[in-house]
Amino acid sequence: MRISDRRFALFLMTPAALFLAVFVAFPLFRLVADSFFKISPIAGGPRDFVGLDNYFRAFASEAFIGAGWRTLAYTVIVVTLEFALGLGMALLFTTLGRSSQIWRTVFMYPLMIAPIVAGLLWKFLMIDNFGLIGTLLHQAGILSNPNQIGWLSDPNIVLYSVAIPDIWLTTSFMCLVLFAGLQNIPGDLIEAARLDGARAPAMLFRIILPLLRPVIAVALVVRGIDAARAFDTILIQTNGGPQSASETMSLLIYRTMIRFGDPGLASAMGTLYLLAMLAVAFVAVSTIWRPGKDN
Amino acid sequence: MRVAERIKNDGGKAAPAAAGPSARSTTSGSGRKRRGVNREGLEAGRRSTRTLLWILLAAAMVLYGFPFLYLLFTSFKTPIDTIAVPPTILPREWTLENYTNALGRSGVVASFINSIQTAIISTVLSLVLAVPAAYGITRYKTLSGRIFIMAALVTRMVPPVAIGIPLASMMAAMGLSDTPIALSIAHTTISLPLSIWLMSSFFEAVPKDLEEAATVDGCSRLGALWRVVIPVVSGGIAVTAIFAFLASWNEFLFALLMTAIRSQTTPVVIANFQTQFGLDWGSMTALAAVYSIPVIILTLLLQRKIVAGMTLGAVKG
Repeated sequence: MRISDRRFALFLMTPAALFLAVFVAFPLFRLVADSFFKISPIAGGPRDFVGLDNYFRAFASEAFIGAGWRTLAYTVIVVTLEFALGLGMALLFTTLGRSSQIWRTVFMYPLMIAPIVAGLLWKFLMIDNFGLIGTLLHQAGILSNPNQIGWLSDPNIVLYSVAIPDIWLTTSFMCLVLFAGLQNIPGDLIEAARLDGARAPAMLFRIILPLLRPVIAVALVVRGIDAARAFDTILIQTNGGPQSASETMSLLIYRTMIRFGDPGLASAMGTLYLLAMLAVAFVAVSTIWRPGKDN
Repeated sequence: MRVAERIKNDGGKAAPAAAGPSARSTTSGSGRKRRGVNREGLEAGRRSTRTLLWILLAAAMVLYGFPFLYLLFTSFKTPIDTIAVPPTILPREWTLENYTNALGRSGVVASFINSIQTAIISTVLSLVLAVPAAYGITRYKTLSGRIFIMAALVTRMVPPVAIGIPLASMMAAMGLSDTPIALSIAHTTISLPLSIWLMSSFFEAVPKDLEEAATVDGCSRLGALWRVVIPVVSGGIAVTAIFAFLASWNEFLFALLMTAIRSQTTPVVIANFQTQFGLDWGSMTALAAVYSIPVIILTLLLQRKIVAGMTLGAVKG
């Protein structure tokens, strides 16, 4: 007796579905539930139902609004620069062809490095006094003093500085995806454009970029989501400082939960953050991504 | 998804297509005459252009590779030279002192063992759950499968910080706090959706006739999956395993929230160097090097497969 295909498919999917239900959906449910309570940070302490109070407090807090804007700015900085650099490298590898293959592999190496190590490394390069970047710029005559730029200590520029390790880590990813997309562009199309006398800029903006659109969309969405969740690199470089100038949403939630001992408020912030991510993801998925519509 | 398939097919196609012109362009002389033929697709043909592009590439590679080289060089400096002002690029004196300091510190070697344990358990768990699920999704295109793969995708959007704390208290309630098991379960919440997406695309490439033939020969459906399909996608399973392993190996936030002394992984130890022992940059760089190099070497050895997986993962997960 054979059970139906539908049952069999369900049977195969059940373990994974149960796992995700127990270890992702349930904690999410707990997060949302906690957001309606005032919770004592002490284990087993009192829990008082406060309705939407935590949400009002989140919206009333400058830290939350600030972190929201910083997260957005950080994401835009990271994704824009990564895209520009990744596209540049992908074009470089494409125009050089097969002979550059080994370098394409080498270019991938930061993807294997832990974000915490990358953050540490760049902190070491940018730190005041013994940071190498300031020293090299000084020796090259660009800076009058090695500490002229406080990469990680100047609140005005720190959000850019903390983005560098993230960009360094994942430009390779952007490059790989765009490179794969570039290989898809039919050679005769390029040839035809060339015969029509198209120069490099026209070729890039009129032919290559429009053809790459779906790949670009996917790469930007994937990286955008990751960048908006960035935590490790920022934590190890600045811990959100100075003066909260690099405190993004993940860090704020973490600190509210752990350092300030306010799990209720942190849960409300986490819920809002999650809703924002899901909204963006939903728009992205329904407009450009469309997974599952195979063949 | 179409883009994924195109990208997937592409890795193979691109290479031979590009082989011709570059091979030709290295032969000297008649380059000018053949200019039109020489350039296939986007590949640059003219010798001067190529030279310029190579210089550009060399500059980019130096800039991109330098930070990690500097980490390596620093790890071989003496602890005092590590924070010398002004810093030097190469060590004034090469020594292993930072390495012996870092590895001699209590908890460091144990953290390595924890990292390896956690990553292995998480990889196995991801595969055991993802392989049948992905097969169920791709082979029987049911509504539930479609909903499931969307749900797995949504899971990827969840910020770890949002579920980390509730997850940690769940583990405590189950009596698992501060164990590699708890952390590997947490890591599997990250790698499972990715593994399902990756495996789905690998199963997609297996012709359906294969297991139909097997079932006609008297295999049960599970038997056909186990004995016929799994061996065919073993390469894909290997790629998925590497991704799951890396996701766990490099993860920090869950490890920070869910481990204390017994099950601490190396990324947490590296981060702790900052506070616990003052700013011991020398040991930090040494430990970071020891932690990163094995996976970089692994990648370089398996690069072809990983590139394929990475581009698939990009589009699918």
